Amino acid sequence: MIQTEGLTKKYGDFTAVDSVDLSIPAGEIYGFLGPNGAGKTSTIMMLLGITSPTAGRIQLFGEEYTSGRLDLRRRIGVVPEKHPVGMWSWMTAGEYLSFFADIFGLKNPGKRIEDLLTQVQLIGVANKRISEFSRGMLQKLSIVRALLHDPDILFLDEPISGLDPIGIKQVRDLIIAENREGRTIFISSHLLSEMEKICHRVAIIFNGKLLAEDSMDILLLKLARDREIDIDLEEVPAGLAEEIEKLDFVNSVSVTENTIAVKVPKEGDYRKDISRFLIKKELIPLQFKEKSISLEEAFVTITHDNVKLLAGVGGKA
Amino acid sequence: MNYRLNAVKAISRRKIFETFITPGFYIALSVSLLLGYFLINGFINSIDSSGLNYGLNPVYELIAKSLSGAFGGTFVIKLFSEGPFLFALYIAYIPFLLYLTISSVFKFGFEKKVGAIELLVYGPSDGTSYFLASLVKDIVLTFVFLGAILIFFWITAIVNNLVLGPEFFYSCIVILFLSLAFFSYGIISSVVTDSAASGIALFLGISVFFIILQMGSFAIISGYVTNLSNVLAWVVKWVSPLFYWHLALSSIGYGNGGVFVVNLFLLLLLSVVILVISHLVLKARGVRV
Repeated sequence: MIQTEGLTKKYGDFTAVDSVDLSIPAGEIYGFLGPNGAGKTSTIMMLLGITSPTAGRIQLFGEEYTSGRLDLRRRIGVVPEKHPVGMWSWMTAGEYLSFFADIFGLKNPGKRIEDLLTQVQLIGVANKRISEFSRGMLQKLSIVRALLHDPDILFLDEPISGLDPIGIKQVRDLIIAENREGRTIFISSHLLSEMEKICHRVAIIFNGKLLAEDSMDILLLKLARDREIDIDLEEVPAGLAEEIEKLDFVNSVSVTENTIAVKVPKEGDYRKDISRFLIKKELIPLQFKEKSISLEEAFVTITHDNVKLLAGVGGKA
Repeated sequence: MNYRLNAVKAISRRKIFETFITPGFYIALSVSLLLGYFLINGFINSIDSSGLNYGLNPVYELIAKSLSGAFGGTFVIKLFSEGPFLFALYIAYIPFLLYLTISSVFKFGFEKKVGAIELLVYGPSDGTSYFLASLVKDIVLTFVFLGAILIFFWITAIVNNLVLGPEFFYSCIVILFLSLAFFSYGIISSVVTDSAASGIALFLGISVFFIILQMGSFAIISGYVTNLSNVLAWVVKWVSPLFYWHLALSSIGYGNGGVFVVNLFLLLLLSVVILVISHLVLKARGVRV
């Protein structure tokens, strides 16, 4: 549905986006991650036709896409990070949506507007001025506007940023519901815990280069330095942690009450070896839990080390 | 093309509606009509048994002397040959033109800065649709202005036993085309600048430059200023709407309909060229500040 080849954007000598190849099939919720200044916005601006690439090509719906292709652009819905307060701040929500329906040339949009406002629980404020809306209400209104013309792809830039927990849930449910109806969703966000909950695949961009584009599970595996195994014991004898740490395959050990957290290389399954060692010490493991790394934990420290990990040249940390 | 047309229709409709519900339009129109009223009234008070006598009204005396100095005595005689209406029309038109153009340039800069135009671009629209909608709005409002001034002057003419001559009606047509050219300059000023203030400053700078150039060309004829007769001034006058306005106005005086139509066409052509350049610049620069 969205395909880029060698997508590059240069501003003078500075390369904001460097030969990015993306491939997003229809029906996917695709997360686009990257720290500030990584080239995320520049990539999105090119995908939306706001700016033109310096090099490379974009294909939308199997067709060559340029900023002049308004026919392709009308199949996209966009929710920007911040809702602009321009000419429509004095309009009511209903007038605002009717105005955009008019721009899209929608015939009899009343029912669609009503349905969408009901879905995001804004129907009660349809006659309220936008200037009186809270951040969360504006965000939901923005999503409704982007969905008005029933687009095939929905671009969301930080869709839940600044929302309260209820707002986050409503927007998350809306995104998932829209995806279930077959809509492709492209989300750019820094709220990784949320991305983890809703995205099928994510891409990570850093210094203008695409470091990874994979399913969530595989990406987490790539990003994780270690695998953490938590073992519950009746009690943890003194000196046990130090003894376990001496084992060849163990990277580090920590103890919390009756639980020992053992970090081992992510490539192997060392539960059997740890069990054997504990039984030899006449200790009975009550429970083994493998704690998986969260996307947030993995991503929050995008450093040169995990850049190498993503590039596939990183080894045991 | 249809998507752009649809967007232009929707946005211009909205803009026209917004203009009618805000006081700015009514204030500008009132100022224009009041100016027109005072000028007509002053003209009537300057008439004695021998005809028009500028000395009877200090304001008219000042106006006549200034215009004679800038454009020559022949121009002033021509301007008042059909009574006060032609002069009043142009003077009343200036504040309204400034209101329309400056408010459009301001809005363009503001909407660009807050990201409102970008939001339109996310739909089946583009920056060009936005400025074309602005242009449509300004043209419609110029029609409204001309309609209002026509009714007002017509009533004034009947009450004061004066006549709205054919030059007045021809001038109304010239004003439409002249406005189009100035609106186009307003658009390009918005497109090439990043803020509302710099857009307005550029537009006013361009306009003042054209006025100086136009007045300078008369001064050269009169022999007062000779240093303006350089190559630059000669080149720039071809992109000045006032140059074509003056030629069109003169052709009415000579009764040359062909030259009148040609100059209207040249004003239209000038506007189209500026709009095309604006479109290309906007395409290259984008709608992001």
